Amino acid sequence: MGLVVGSNPMSMDALAALLVERFAGDLDDVRIQEPDTIVARCAREKLKDVAARLKADPEVGYETLNFVAGVDHGTSFESIYHVYSWKTNTWVELHVELPRAEPEVDTVCDIWPAADWHERESWDMVGIKYLGHPDLRRILLKDDFIGHPLRKDYVDLAENHPHV
Amino acid sequence: MSERIKAVRYPKLEHFSEPNVITTTADFVFSWARSHSVFPFTYGLACCAIEMLSSGFARFDVARYGMEVFRPTPRQCDLMIVAGTLNEKMAPVLKRLYDQMSEPKWVISMGACATSGGPFYDGYNVVNGVDKVVPVDVYIPGCPPRPEALFQGLLELQGKIQQHKFVPEKPAAFEPAPAAGAGPATADEA
Repeated sequence: MGLVVGSNPMSMDALAALLVERFAGDLDDVRIQEPDTIVARCAREKLKDVAARLKADPEVGYETLNFVAGVDHGTSFESIYHVYSWKTNTWVELHVELPRAEPEVDTVCDIWPAADWHERESWDMVGIKYLGHPDLRRILLKDDFIGHPLRKDYVDLAENHPHV
Repeated sequence: MSERIKAVRYPKLEHFSEPNVITTTADFVFSWARSHSVFPFTYGLACCAIEMLSSGFARFDVARYGMEVFRPTPRQCDLMIVAGTLNEKMAPVLKRLYDQMSEPKWVISMGACATSGGPFYDGYNVVNGVDKVVPVDVYIPGCPPRPEALFQGLLELQGKIQQHKFVPEKPAAFEPAPAAGAGPATADEA
């Protein structure tokens, strides 16, 4: 079950309280997921600002991006950022909800360069558009694939299967 | 099978303890040599590749059948072992690499995925069998097949190669060159 919170200088409660204080009004629903993850929601307009501040924070400093995930909830999409802090040995799971009609969110490539391929995969599979991404094209599927196959409403097309 | 026929069909060193002669056919000699010097192409696409590679090492040792020379380039291969799931993005690459192999060439479809798509059948990016793209000689079932199963497939392929006729049944008709000074042949004569 993950790493033991041995090298964390502060308790999870104190860390959560610190994040709530620093990001008052920006992070919603901050909760602790034992043993070492803090889950929070963030409005998509504030994502870029929150990400930059999360990374630059001198005390906790979430410098490493583990992955970006795209999720289709049926009524809405969600882009999830999993970031890690070496100083506290903890993770933050940042959920950004996107409306179904307009699944667009700012890229975080310029903050965490590791987001590049992850955002491309999320675009490829779920169809979330990352505005400002340097090279937003398909990464796993072929270039002329039609649709985004991990969407709930995806219907398999004959055009995607030329070898029958 | 009598000892004498066995000695002719499967000649061994002890049959040549003294200067000796065997009679056989060109077909047999060529196909025997060809079937025992197959160069497989390392075409591992998924977990079947692990079994394919382990069959090349000491525990299972595909070298016993004269097939240990796995090559990473299609130019030097005559057998493509497709080991794993073929997806739509990889299919044109597979076709291209198959076309780059020199004749004669064979294809073994190893495992459930290469044979029919396997557990990923009807997936959004899966080709339901490698035979949709290239002609397959031997199908090996399993998920993944054990190295022994791969060996049986290879032996089946050897049997198939040995049935191949290299010498044409009817020799090509001999057409003598026109005699010197006979003049150009007309269309009626041809």
